Amino acid sequence: MIKFENVTKTYNKKVRAVDDISFNVKGGEIVGFIGPNGSGKTTTMKLLTGIIKADVGKITVNKFNVRRDPINAKESIGYIADSPDMFLRLKGSEFLDLIGDIYRVPTKKRRERIGSMCERFGLTEALSSPIMSYSHGMRQKIMVAAALMHNPPVWILDEPMIGLDPKSAYELKQMMCEHAKAGNAVFFSTHVLEVAEKLCDRVIIIKKGHILYDGTLEKLETQNKNESLEKIFLELTEK
Amino acid sequence: MSIFLKLTMALLKTVEPTTEEKKYKKIFYNIMGFIAVFGIMLPMAFFVGVIIYALTSQLLSMGSGTNAVKIFLHLVSVFSFIFGINVIFSVFYFSGDIENLLPLPLKPYQIIGSKFTAALISESIMEFIVIIAAFAGYIIASGAPFYSWIIALFGMITLPIVPLIYCGILCMLIMLVTRFIKNKDTVNKITGLLTFIAIIGIAVMVSNSGGFDTEHLVSALADPQNAILSTMDFIFPQIHFLVDSTVNNTFINMLFYLGVNIFAIALFMLIAHLVYFRTVVEISGASGQTSRKSFSAIVGKMKQRRPAMTYLQKEFRLLFRTPAYFTNCILINLIWPVFLYIVYLLQGKTNFLDSFIYDIHNGNEETVLFFLLGISAVSVLITAANCISSSALTREGKHFAFMKYIPMSYMAQINVKAAVSIIVSGVGMLIYVIAAAVYLNLGIKITLFCCLLSLCSVAFVSYFGIFMDSVNPKLVWDDELNALRGNYNIFFNMALAILLEGATCAGAYLLFRFTDLGALIIIIMLFLFIMLLTAFSYLLCSYKATKNIDELTF
Repeated sequence: MIKFENVTKTYNKKVRAVDDISFNVKGGEIVGFIGPNGSGKTTTMKLLTGIIKADVGKITVNKFNVRRDPINAKESIGYIADSPDMFLRLKGSEFLDLIGDIYRVPTKKRRERIGSMCERFGLTEALSSPIMSYSHGMRQKIMVAAALMHNPPVWILDEPMIGLDPKSAYELKQMMCEHAKAGNAVFFSTHVLEVAEKLCDRVIIIKKGHILYDGTLEKLETQNKNESLEKIFLELTEK
Repeated sequence: MSIFLKLTMALLKTVEPTTEEKKYKKIFYNIMGFIAVFGIMLPMAFFVGVIIYALTSQLLSMGSGTNAVKIFLHLVSVFSFIFGINVIFSVFYFSGDIENLLPLPLKPYQIIGSKFTAALISESIMEFIVIIAAFAGYIIASGAPFYSWIIALFGMITLPIVPLIYCGILCMLIMLVTRFIKNKDTVNKITGLLTFIAIIGIAVMVSNSGGFDTEHLVSALADPQNAILSTMDFIFPQIHFLVDSTVNNTFINMLFYLGVNIFAIALFMLIAHLVYFRTVVEISGASGQTSRKSFSAIVGKMKQRRPAMTYLQKEFRLLFRTPAYFTNCILINLIWPVFLYIVYLLQGKTNFLDSFIYDIHNGNEETVLFFLLGISAVSVLITAANCISSSALTREGKHFAFMKYIPMSYMAQINVKAAVSIIVSGVGMLIYVIAAAVYLNLGIKITLFCCLLSLCSVAFVSYFGIFMDSVNPKLVWDDELNALRGNYNIFFNMALAILLEGATCAGAYLLFRFTDLGALIIIIMLFLFIMLLTAFSYLLCSYKATKNIDELTF
């Protein structure tokens, strides 16, 4: 579902944020992307969604090349950005309707999906209010609902749990599992190692634009004599 | 460095324009800067200097040499006040930094003083050039000695203090009265309307003061009992002392000038100390309006529409709901009839508008050509001045990434953004054009042609503005007014559009004067040329702006 082949991205010809990295995410997989601050996680996410252009390499999402066939690639993605402060002067319902139209979600399906997600996230009451009046967590929830409304085969989520209350975080994790079970791909970044431990089929650890590890958690723990993921992560990233 | 200075520098950073690292973009910006400085700012300053020089020369012989420069500085102060209202409201009440500053261990005077100084510096840079030009005109005409220049330079920096303090005091009193309104946006829109009312008030004042032909102006200025000047001296007393100390180099008047400014600052700080923090805390807690509707009623309204239509609606909602955009992009379109009314009043005894209308009725070719050139020029000016297109990408700010990750081509999004500018500027222009056509009894065919010419000119600037903004959009700002303030793209777009339109109009007129081509042929050529410019700016967006958006890294 996601193919990242020998991709490099340099900012201002000086900072190599992503340095010749490659990885795949197959259908049915939940892959966690972990790394310290400034390791290149958000840059990778932005490259995947077409927000920024790679200097070298090839990125494919749902068999569509992100550079050559951007519209089809973008239609295949549900993306949650790292900041939920977006279109604050629109009402929640207006924002969802805007996203529904842009991703061409038919009226009936749109109503069903908004209904189901608002119920799961407790958003129903807030829909007629401007996003500006929402708390940080509520803003994150409306972004999640909007990103997943068109039921895309690939989910790319940048720190999706930040700001969510326990119930909403639980619901989102459930949705991620359900989505992967249906044969789709979920690729998300996180700083919370417990979330990665409980949710991921595979983790990718990145530091200074280089992939340090790509594989299952079990294998990582076996390789490191059953140490805790936290300790392994610290040892890997502080080398 | 003291905390006050450090804080002022930090606040100034938020209104700084973005810098560009790519070499070709740097060159582009340098060229634009050169055009703006030498094509617009310096000629404007020169024009002001010449007018003050001419008026002072005449008034000197009548014994009232200082009156021209005085009335001009009063005028500058009035404009500082009008345009300062929104800025001061934004800086003191609606900027995002206040919630970060309040918990810091800063003394109230440090926050208030730094905010005021930052607003004064960022708002007064353009004014400085005009003020020094006015002083130059006066000093050269009156033959004042060398040290007058030093006093003039000092005046240039300090003159906007009093008008901005008036704005600050007004702003705090309004916030004190309206602090129970829990929606910040409502208060912010009220200030926009206040600015509008102030401009209309000035127009009414001008209309009540009689004709303003040159002869009348000089004799009015020479009158020692001039009512307007006396009133203005009362409102801005520091100007009298500044001008007097420049002329006579009297130290005592310079002390009085400093005294008025220090008193104004002290009064402002006192009122701010008593009122500001009390009201700003309440305002910080205020949020946007909330409403409760049943879920079925909300989703029942949802219906699939074309992406472009819903994107267009989003753009309009943000323009109308964001006070800074509502005032600077929408409300500004309503100001033009007021300016036209002032022009009508300024004709005084010369009645050039009446003779213009008479010539149009009689089909005078030159007048008809002037009328059409005027329509095209005003259309360009209105579209550039409302900055809807030249801030189209800048307004996206931190969520600019949205444009890049949604499955909608960049050109489709540019077309929608251009459509917003064309609709707002075009509808405004069409109302004026149709009203003028009805008043002048032009007939349907000519009216339709005028409308087409106007729309074409609007479309040209709309696409051109988006291209200009795509070169280096200012995406980092902490409140919406800062997206528009200190934004070079808006200024450069206006400068280039005016220069291009000016060259087009001048070319058309020269063709009429110096060739045998009739007015009709030249009008058709003008229309075709504006269409060509529109096509050119569309292609610029299609090939270059889309590439600029694609390459933007943030």
